[in-house]
Amino acid sequence: MTRDTDDTTETNRAGARSETTETDTHTTREQERPQALNRLGAPKPGVNGDEPSRGRRRFLAALGSAATVGLAGCATTQSEQSTGQVAFSDFRGSGRLVESRPEIDAPRIADLPDLSGELTLYLGGGEGGLYRELVTLFEQIYDDFTAVPNAGGTAEQANKILTEGEETPADVFWSVDAGSLSVVAEEGLTAQLSSETVADVPETFHPDRQWVANAGRARAIPYNTDELSASDVPDSVMDFPDSPLAEGEIGWAPTYGAFQAFVTAMRLTEGESATREWLEAMQPSVTEYPDEFLTSNAVADGEVAGGFANHYYALRVRDARPEAPLDLAFTSGDAGALINVAGAAVLGPSENAALAEDFVAHLLSAEAQEFFATRAFGYPTVGGVPPVGGLPTIDELEPPEIDLSELSNVQPTLRLLREVGVL
Amino acid sequence: MAGSGADSGVRRPFERLRRLSTTEDGEPTAAVGLLAAAVSAAVLSPVAWLLLRATEVGVDDAVRLLASGNTFTVLTNSVALVAVVTTASIVLGVPLAVLTVQTDLPFRRFWTIAVALPLVVPSYVGAFAFVSAFGPHGVLADALAPIGIEIPTIYGFGGAALVLTAFVYPYVFLTTRASLLSFDATQLEAARTLDTGYRAAFRRIVLPQIAPGVTAGALLVALYTLSDFGTPAIMHFDTFTRAIFLELNTFARSHATLLSLQLLGVTAVILALESRIGPGEADGYGSRTSTDAVVELGWWTVPALLLLAAVVVVTLGVPVGILGMWLVRSGPGYAAGGLAFDWTFGLNSAGVAGVAALVTTLAAVPVAYYSGRTDSRLGWLIERPTYVGYAMPGVVLGLALVFFGTKYAPGLYQTIPLLIFAYVVRFIPQAVGSTRSSVMGVDRALVGAARTLGETPRRAFRRVTLPLITPGLVAGAALVFLTTMKELPATLLLQPAGFDTLVTYIWRVQEAGYYGRAALPALVLVVISSVSMLVILRGEDT
Repeated sequence: MTRDTDDTTETNRAGARSETTETDTHTTREQERPQALNRLGAPKPGVNGDEPSRGRRRFLAALGSAATVGLAGCATTQSEQSTGQVAFSDFRGSGRLVESRPEIDAPRIADLPDLSGELTLYLGGGEGGLYRELVTLFEQIYDDFTAVPNAGGTAEQANKILTEGEETPADVFWSVDAGSLSVVAEEGLTAQLSSETVADVPETFHPDRQWVANAGRARAIPYNTDELSASDVPDSVMDFPDSPLAEGEIGWAPTYGAFQAFVTAMRLTEGESATREWLEAMQPSVTEYPDEFLTSNAVADGEVAGGFANHYYALRVRDARPEAPLDLAFTSGDAGALINVAGAAVLGPSENAALAEDFVAHLLSAEAQEFFATRAFGYPTVGGVPPVGGLPTIDELEPPEIDLSELSNVQPTLRLLREVGVL
Repeated sequence: MAGSGADSGVRRPFERLRRLSTTEDGEPTAAVGLLAAAVSAAVLSPVAWLLLRATEVGVDDAVRLLASGNTFTVLTNSVALVAVVTTASIVLGVPLAVLTVQTDLPFRRFWTIAVALPLVVPSYVGAFAFVSAFGPHGVLADALAPIGIEIPTIYGFGGAALVLTAFVYPYVFLTTRASLLSFDATQLEAARTLDTGYRAAFRRIVLPQIAPGVTAGALLVALYTLSDFGTPAIMHFDTFTRAIFLELNTFARSHATLLSLQLLGVTAVILALESRIGPGEADGYGSRTSTDAVVELGWWTVPALLLLAAVVVVTLGVPVGILGMWLVRSGPGYAAGGLAFDWTFGLNSAGVAGVAALVTTLAAVPVAYYSGRTDSRLGWLIERPTYVGYAMPGVVLGLALVFFGTKYAPGLYQTIPLLIFAYVVRFIPQAVGSTRSSVMGVDRALVGAARTLGETPRRAFRRVTLPLITPGLVAGAALVFLTTMKELPATLLLQPAGFDTLVTYIWRVQEAGYYGRAALPALVLVVISSVSMLVILRGEDT
């Protein structure tokens, strides 16, 4: 979360850029960013269907073929299912990447207990409209349910809850950053969720059931398919300096929070000196961009052969520019494969605990998971809901084994980046 | 000066009331002193939270943090930034004030407003605008590159100093201008009759008289620079506020506390320095204000106009231009839920800022009156602490009030009154400063004359003092209004649920990366705040 608010500003600036340069993406935060990005996605079914899949990293290319399997029918049945006046399709985004979605295998809102009463909801970061929109959909389903949102940066909200302590008026803390949730849990201010609520989410994403992740964002390597093939991207990020990738230019955005989190993860897994050497070895090959959307866009334009970015930026570029020669690769078990998550916790002092838990369960419903997947291109954390773009599901990725709350310790990373002259 | 005879019992209520406010010799009574001390203590109370937190820090931990190189860097960075921004603001603000008050500059009225207006631009909006104009691949950077103009990096010390100066120098401009307006121009004319050049006359006659005004503005600039978070964060420059923020981000609240205390230490040094440099106060509103041109610019008119134009382009043209560009480019299609702009945000902002201005001004009056009317050390002791909240980062103040609110006033927590209190704490020095100098500017002989003519002290206050200090009160209130309008960090932490203002909306859409959506509220903010700037300038001219 350091990333989060620290870089509110940085990303803001970056956002300004992307808005001025690119038609679609206004969202340049490293966070799970749940805003709709699909507005410009002109539906072009199967535009990639004729491209052969070239190995495990060519996920985007596989989109057309993978996603079209038996979809038309499913989409119909799903949109027919409705809860009250709100249909399943109201939760789903639009645009080319979303056009054909498989049957979603997860509990529906109709299977969950009704929400009823007033809920005080502390939103940390990333509520850029879409989180509120999801809450509004819930309010439309349940006439006597109201959520009162109180928004702020993820760190501010966590610090606020820590300062309020047992007197916190919050029932639910919903934050786009794992670290902010962990720290509230460590202070003993969260209530344990029932195992039933978190049943469909992999265990790493609900530590001790103190909070549960609702969506993830993965580090990835966008590369230009005209310049490189999947096999040119090493399986380990530490091998990048000697790879074909480094022969062309590589784009990165060192002022960007998500990149700094990636370097922090490398520091934690490989140690400071190895990280320093890696940064120094990369420097001759890199081109700097203000943010990771622009990095991904530059890869698509062939300005650079590859780059470092969160996975959804490439999806946004592809959504806006279906023909772009852009694909994603993922490294294995290292900092390059880091996954950070957004999640929610029920506050221990809440007098509304039952409603709060039911609300969290709603975030893990098929409808909400589809919402996160198709409107923000986030990684759904419920196993039965695939990400868009033919990407591997969350349990197929190999993230490094680190405590996500450690990522907030960004100061040593900033110092390191300055010492080697990257910042 | 104590409440002599206030307890004699048989007096009629209104007489008791006036006895409570002033003794026969015009010194404020103990009651005013007590009131002033109470205000001062109240606005200082958030510091208690810091001290409380500091006791939780282990000694080893504290020593390690304070001795670390990073702490030293942050300290030197902050001090350097304060020094450069303050100096630059004086270098910019004083000549602009002289040009617009004492010369025959064409369109003086226009230039006066134009060079004062940058103060209404929130620093985080201004800094964004600068970065998107001059940053890597920035609009202007890209436009200038083909003609061979390379913009040096905007990030770091240079960018932070430039942006801060651009948006806070008007403090110096406004206070200097106020001093110049009350300056008796006949003295200058006399000096020039004696064949002294303007430059020498300025140095020997004008400067000593406007020095307190310049210093008062410089103090506000220095403390603002210390407390501003947006600019150093956007410019990636490590100051106290950014370091505190990073510590809070890693939930190292104890470290954040220690850094905050260090910041307050620097604040104390600045406050002590200022009271050494600026011991007196300008003669204020008792004398006739003068905007008569006393200097003919001659061929200096052209460079003067060029300077003014350059300042206005950089400090107003860039941010407003970038906002306008965002506005035009945003177009339709942004209507994600929860992001729709609502004009009530503007009403909320203006309403809460209006109440904050009123309450702050009322709270400032006893402090300003007491410290302006007494020469005692006590007056100084009461007045100085009111500046502390101004130098406190908003996030620290916000957390302190979260703590006190939840622990001791749960009924007030996340309500408008507590939010207003935060604004009072943060912005009271602006009201105290301008009210105090107007109190000091009231010639005590005038009050004495009124008394001689049979007026009661209360009526003398109402008929003589009050009209004379009203411009000071209004100017202070207007300053509080416009700074409240743009305050973000404390507002975010303390806002009542569902109470959206322009800045919380700007924060929300920027957080989401919807820059186009930030343009309209930012422009509305600038326009509403500009009105209060007009109030300040109009008040000065009458």
